[in-house]
Amino acid sequence: MITKDITIEDLIEDYPKSVKYLSEKNIRCIKCGEPIWGTLEEACLEKKFTQLAIDKVVKELNELHKTPNKKFEIDNKKIKVKKI
Amino acid sequence: MNIDIQSVLKNLGLSETNQGVSTGAEWFETNGKINTSSSPVDGKVIASVKTATLEDYEAVVAKAQAAFKEWRMVPAPQRGEIVRLIGNALRDAKEDLGALVSYEMGKIFQEGLGEVQEMIDICDFAVGQSRLINGVALQSERPLHRLSEQYQPLGIVGIVTSYNFPVAVWAWNSALAAIAGDVVIWKPSSKTPLTAIATQKIIQKVLRENNVPEGVFNLVVGRSSVMGDNFLGDKRIPLISLTGSTSVGRRAGRIVGNRLGRALLELGGNNAVIITPNADIPMAVMSTVFGTVGTAGQRCTSTRRVIIHEKIFDQVKNSFVNAYEKLADKIGSPLDEKYLVGPLIDEHSVMLFEEAVSKVQKEGGKILFGGQKLEGKGFESGNYVMPCIAEAENHFEIVQEETFAPIVYLIKYSGDVQNAIDIQNDVPQGLSSAIFTLNMREAETFISQTGSDCGIANVNLGTSGAEIGGAFGGEKDTGGGRESGSDAWKIYMRRQTNTINYGADLPLAQGIKFDI
Repeated sequence: MITKDITIEDLIEDYPKSVKYLSEKNIRCIKCGEPIWGTLEEACLEKKFTQLAIDKVVKELNELHKTPNKKFEIDNKKIKVKKI
Repeated sequence: MNIDIQSVLKNLGLSETNQGVSTGAEWFETNGKINTSSSPVDGKVIASVKTATLEDYEAVVAKAQAAFKEWRMVPAPQRGEIVRLIGNALRDAKEDLGALVSYEMGKIFQEGLGEVQEMIDICDFAVGQSRLINGVALQSERPLHRLSEQYQPLGIVGIVTSYNFPVAVWAWNSALAAIAGDVVIWKPSSKTPLTAIATQKIIQKVLRENNVPEGVFNLVVGRSSVMGDNFLGDKRIPLISLTGSTSVGRRAGRIVGNRLGRALLELGGNNAVIITPNADIPMAVMSTVFGTVGTAGQRCTSTRRVIIHEKIFDQVKNSFVNAYEKLADKIGSPLDEKYLVGPLIDEHSVMLFEEAVSKVQKEGGKILFGGQKLEGKGFESGNYVMPCIAEAENHFEIVQEETFAPIVYLIKYSGDVQNAIDIQNDVPQGLSSAIFTLNMREAETFISQTGSDCGIANVNLGTSGAEIGGAFGGEKDTGGGRESGSDAWKIYMRRQTNTINYGADLPLAQGIKFDI
């Protein structure tokens, strides 16, 4: 199960579909061909996601990997980013 | 050439499942997660690796600490002799290790051999350096005093390497660290653990036969959950040498800096070639194409931008497109020597390549060639792409980023060469750069104080393919580290200033009087 504390490397290795999902949320978890270091939560916080938005990401990632053949519709589910 | 991978694996001592933790000649029975390494060439699983646990890491550090106490007492030229023997062992295994680098990473076999040659070269360099670890004699202001500087071994060096040079970067660091009297702990990329294990197996015979203490050359294959922030933040490791993205480097710099350790960072590049109206254009194009598509654009020094004077823009552009058209038939298995461009490391890199192709168009750029994922016979792994040429502007967000794939942006400049240099420098990264010109004034301006702000600035050769003799590294978001040749050895050592009073008086510096 994916939690917000999972490292990006473990996330990519164990749940590879996360890369595309996160890319569409403007989180690039692969740079120079390697996973970035740190947790999913840290990657989201760097993009100024709120805790609520992070919880939603975790939930959606778990759903995405529960249904391996279903294309996840995320185009209309943009997370509102709080401007700081 | 026909390369039989099963024979290569056998020759290198690799089996179906391999231990991922070693302190030199000894291997740990680890209970960590089992990772499989798959080849980007054909998508097949090559072998598995038992990765480290936190307990394994602690045991390795303890061994390394003990080994350092012994190793630092070995005279440097004798340490150099061990490195010489390691270089010879690598010579003997060059073909096999080069083939595995090619198969596990995806670079063409010639580049795989080149990578092992780099390892051999740095060993040779380090052997010479082992007799040249010198200090300086300075002039003391006090009578009968001698002032000097010397270099002492530092301790444990943590080495984090990336998949694109899975073994050469380890050699750059560990050969110099070893002659400096340091011990190393190597965390290889999780994408290329087998080349790391093979390297350790190659050197283990040398270590065993020469009674090198266990703990001098350590290997720990582990994910960042085991070999991550804890490794970077470990105060027992005075130097962390990390090759990776700017993002990972920034994190490492923060964590290592927080404990006031040393960080040698080799991070991302956004390397440009300037082609002026005074260039030898066929030479410039030929050289630059190697920089753009070599290693399928997955070198830190790959050419990402070509800045061309408006007077020759169309001519150069057409030459590039012609050259790429010829390359189109030369994409395929890197183990087959008729091909010049292999696959990207995985499907994620392909996705990011496709995203870059799409983004540059959205920002107003124009695709001049390629940009597609390749399908069909020979491309079943899904990791092959047609290298892309795009016409773009330097300020585009995608141009400012490093895309680790074969996409190059052609950018127009007008007027003086300084305008081209200003465009070149107007990115966050500062690794490698080059100019093609036969005009001495333009060339000198390029390497002057108003010239390139990169760590590497070449004239009439491309951005990639550095020799080991020069210091390698870059400025700004590239991290500022220098490794390999020149005086890069100094970062692996502790610098000490010594003042010796061989007189009978006690004069204080600055003439201060303190008479009791």
